[in-house]
Amino acid sequence: MSENVHTRALQLVAKGRVEGLAQLESEWLAAHLQECEFCNEHARQTDRALRSLRTAAIPLPADLAGRTQFRVRLRAMELRERQPQRRMLWLACAASWIFGIASAPYVWRVFEWFGHVTGAPKLILEIGFGLWWTIPALFAVLVLLLEGAGQAEEPEWMKPGR
Amino acid sequence: MTFSTLMRDEAKNIARGLQQRDPDLLDRLIEQYQFRLFRYLVYITGDKARAEDFFQETWIRVLERGHQYDGKSKFEAWLFAIARHLVIDWQRTKKAQSLDALTDPELEKPLQIPSENEPSPLHQVLAQEREEDVQASLEKIPAIYREVLVLRFQEELQIEEMAGVLSIPVSTVKSRLYRGLDALRGALEGGWA
Repeated sequence: MSENVHTRALQLVAKGRVEGLAQLESEWLAAHLQECEFCNEHARQTDRALRSLRTAAIPLPADLAGRTQFRVRLRAMELRERQPQRRMLWLACAASWIFGIASAPYVWRVFEWFGHVTGAPKLILEIGFGLWWTIPALFAVLVLLLEGAGQAEEPEWMKPGR
Repeated sequence: MTFSTLMRDEAKNIARGLQQRDPDLLDRLIEQYQFRLFRYLVYITGDKARAEDFFQETWIRVLERGHQYDGKSKFEAWLFAIARHLVIDWQRTKKAQSLDALTDPELEKPLQIPSENEPSPLHQVLAQEREEDVQASLEKIPAIYREVLVLRFQEELQIEEMAGVLSIPVSTVKSRLYRGLDALRGALEGGWA
């Protein structure tokens, strides 16, 4: 029997376990394994290795599921509590924008008066007026960033030397 | 109703429950997947205590990001992908240890599973001895191969699902499986001789 035949047989032994064989390959391999003790032993060893892997059990730490369920429920409560706060934030922003639109002519008069008193150029006043509108958005972004920073902090369990 | 239809319905139910952050569903999933997830984490971290931490953190992520699960794929594939990303993120923060063992077998750390000190009946001792043989053999296999072996032969994921979990091409999954299988056979061969 040529070397190539055994090489093919060993490749098919692995292929059969990893991705499965076509009918023809399977028949060819079965016939070869009946004739060749070396390849047959290789196939047996492969099966034994996989059986050992499949049946290897790692004992679970005591009450791992219970402790995890408790942590998950706590976190769920935190998230639920945070939801109304988030809604309030968006409501406040929306109210602020509506109020801002309604009061725009008055605000512009204030800016004009300020420009008159200080002698600031009109361009500066217009930029200032534009920035005035971004204040609620900036506030919302700041709150979200602070919240994000709080979440991104490395949790205690990840720190070294626990 | 076929098995695949049942599985699809189950995945859809899970997706719906996770969208609503249903606490009872999460409790059930934690119970149901505790052994498989913990085993996977032990194999990829090589550390039982660390695996325990990652186990809990994985479920917190499932709660927080449950809305991202669409129910089109198997839940366990999504769960393992979350766990794996957590481990990789943690490895990246450990620059000093250069713990990229899941991407570089040369930097592999041996698998360390402390033995259980709890008293056990005789059959458990015998079973544990056999398990320890398997664990000792697995120590010799690089983490990237150990991981694919666990996903394929313990978790019985399809190769395409594994490619999703590991974020690598199907061809890479296959080549790792072939090398891993070879390494596993070689490692266990020593134990049987």
